[in-house]
Amino acid sequence: MLSLKLAWRNLFRNTRRTILTSILISSSLVVLILVDGMTLGMVDLMVGGITHTLEGEAQVLRKGFRNNFGVEYYLEDPEPLIDIIKADDSVSGFGPRIIVGGMIASSYNTTGGLIYGVDAEQELGVSRIQEAIIEGHYLSGESREILIGKPMADLLEVELGDRIIITAAAVDSNEIAQELFRVKGIFEFGPEEMDKNLVFINLEIGQQLLGMQGHLHQIAIRFHDPETSKDTDLPLFAALTTNETEALGWLDLQPAIGGIIEMTNYSTAIVGTVLFMLTSLGVINSMFMSIYERIYEFGVAKAIGTTPWQIIQLVLFEALFLALMSCVFGLVIGYMLTNYFSTSGIPFGTAEVAGVLIDGNMYTKLAAYQFINFPVYVTLLTLVAAIYPAIFASRIVPSQALQRSL
Amino acid sequence: MTKVIETKDLFRKFGSEETEIIALDQVTLDIEDGEFTAIIGPSGSGKTTLLHLIGGLDNPDAGTVLLSGANIADMSGNELSDFRRDHIGFVFQAYNLIPVLSAEENIEYVMLLQGIDSAARKKRVQEMLALVGLEGLGNRRPAHLSGGQQQRVAVARAMASKPDIILADEPTANLDTKTGISLLEVMRDLNEQQNMTFVFSTHDEMIMERATRLVHLRDGKIERDERK
Repeated sequence: MLSLKLAWRNLFRNTRRTILTSILISSSLVVLILVDGMTLGMVDLMVGGITHTLEGEAQVLRKGFRNNFGVEYYLEDPEPLIDIIKADDSVSGFGPRIIVGGMIASSYNTTGGLIYGVDAEQELGVSRIQEAIIEGHYLSGESREILIGKPMADLLEVELGDRIIITAAAVDSNEIAQELFRVKGIFEFGPEEMDKNLVFINLEIGQQLLGMQGHLHQIAIRFHDPETSKDTDLPLFAALTTNETEALGWLDLQPAIGGIIEMTNYSTAIVGTVLFMLTSLGVINSMFMSIYERIYEFGVAKAIGTTPWQIIQLVLFEALFLALMSCVFGLVIGYMLTNYFSTSGIPFGTAEVAGVLIDGNMYTKLAAYQFINFPVYVTLLTLVAAIYPAIFASRIVPSQALQRSL
Repeated sequence: MTKVIETKDLFRKFGSEETEIIALDQVTLDIEDGEFTAIIGPSGSGKTTLLHLIGGLDNPDAGTVLLSGANIADMSGNELSDFRRDHIGFVFQAYNLIPVLSAEENIEYVMLLQGIDSAARKKRVQEMLALVGLEGLGNRRPAHLSGGQQQRVAVARAMASKPDIILADEPTANLDTKTGISLLEVMRDLNEQQNMTFVFSTHDEMIMERATRLVHLRDGKIERDERK
C-alpha cells in the first residue's frame, strides 16, 4: 500500500513533467481512437460506395457469368431463387436484373454500353439509381423509358424525351434485336466509367429485347445488416448455390476492394505502431529524468533494504498510474472528438477510389473495442517502456549513488 | 561481549591503473555489541569506504566482512538487501528521507519492507517518534521539518527495524552545534538504554568526545584504535 502511495506521490514531484508526459500518452490514445474511427468510417463509406450504388451486398448469378458477362449465362429459372430470398429475414431488398452489352444510338451519335434491365420498384431497395437522377425522373415501369448517364447524354446529344435506339444480340438466336426508347432521366453516379457506359431500362422490355422472358442474369441483394454479406458460410448463400448458380457476397465479388479495405485496416496498425514508438521514447525519457533526479534517493532506498525487485515495482507502479491517468483523459477526449465527427462528419467531397464512388461526408465510427482494447494497449505500452528505466533504477549501486553528497 | 562486526584484511581501491587510489589497505577491525564507535581521520582516509563495506553497500577487492557472524560476500543481491533491512540501520549525512512521505511514513517504510503488520508498524512508529523527541510531528513531510528534526527522523527510521547495528556517516555534518548535540544525546541514550551498537564516520569532535572507542584511519590504514 505504501509502495502505491509512494508511486502516486512520486508522480507529482514534478507536476509539469508528469502533465507533459501524460499529454503525450493521452494524445497517442486520442489519435489512435480517432484514426480507427476514421478508418471504420472510411471502410463504411467504401463498402457503401460499392454495395449501395449498384452492386448490392450480394449477388446470385449463373456460374460463368462473372468471367465476361456472357449473355448466355443466365439464370434459367429464377423464381425458386427469388422465393428463397424473399423468405429470408436478413434480406432487406433484392433486385432482379438482366445485363447485356449493346449499341446505344441517337439521331446524332452512337456508342457502346452496358444495358441493365431492372425492376424499377425492386431496384429502389438495392441501388441508388433513383438518387443519382439529376434530370428527369426515375423509371416508372412504362416499357420504353430509359435512363442514361450525363456524359453519354452529351455524347449522344440527347435530352429528356429524345429517342434512343438500343441494338443487342438476342440470347439464344444471336439475331440482332432493336428497340426504341425515350430518355426518361439522366443520372450521375460520379465515377466517369459508370456514367459513360451504363443505361437502365425496365426489366420486362429488356427480357423481350434479348428473347429471355422469365430469365435473369443477376439478382442483387441487400441485407438489413451489411456485415451479413461477409459471412461466406451464410445459409442463404448455400441455399442459393446449385450446380449452375452461385451466390456471393461483395467481398468475393470485389476481392480487390476487400484487399484495399484490409490495407486500410493495416493503416491503423501502422499509425498505432508509429505512435507507440514515439510515445515509448517520451515515456522512457520522462522516466529516466525522474530516476536521475532521484538517484541518491534510490541509493538510500536500496541501502535501507529495498530489494531491486521492489525498486522495479515502484517505477512500474509510477508508470501504471501515469498510464491510467493519461488513459482517462485520452478516453474522454477521444470519445468527444470521435463522437462529434460521427454525427457531424468530415467533409470528403466526391471521389473515386479504386472504381468505388465515395460521396459525401465521412462519418467516424465509434466501437467498444476502441475504448477497451486501446487503453489496455496504451497502458501495456507505458509499462513496457518503463521496464528499461525500472531495471536501470534497480541496478543503482548504493555506494555510488550515495557518493553524490559524501 | 559478542562481536557484531568483524573485518579482516579489507582492501579497496578506486580508479584505473593511472589514477588508482587505495581507499582501504588491509583493515582488520572487530566491533563488539553495544559499542559507540567513531571512525575518524582526515578527508580521504577511507572512513566512508569502510562504513560502506561494513554496511554491504560496496564490495571489497579483498578481505572479508562478517556481520553478526554472516559473511556478506556470500550473499546474493536480494539476500544482501534483506540482511541490510533486518540487521543494519543507516543514518546519512544528508538526512535522506523520502520527500513525498511524511515522517511517520518514512519510519514505517523499512518495517513495511520487513512485512510487519499495520498495527505493529503504527505502534512502533509512535514509539520511535517519542524516542527521538518528535511526538506530534509525524504527519509532517521532510520539507516541513528542520535539518535536526529530519536527522532525528532518519535515526528513528534506522532504529525502527530493530537492527543489530547503526552505521552513521557524518550524521551531524549538516547540523548546527546545538542540534548536533541534541541528536547525539538521543543516539547515546539509545546506545546506553538499549545497548544499540553505533559506528560513526566523522570529523565531529562532539561525536569523538562521546564515543567509547575511536578508530583512527589514515591513508586507508588503521593508525590507532583506542577504547576509552
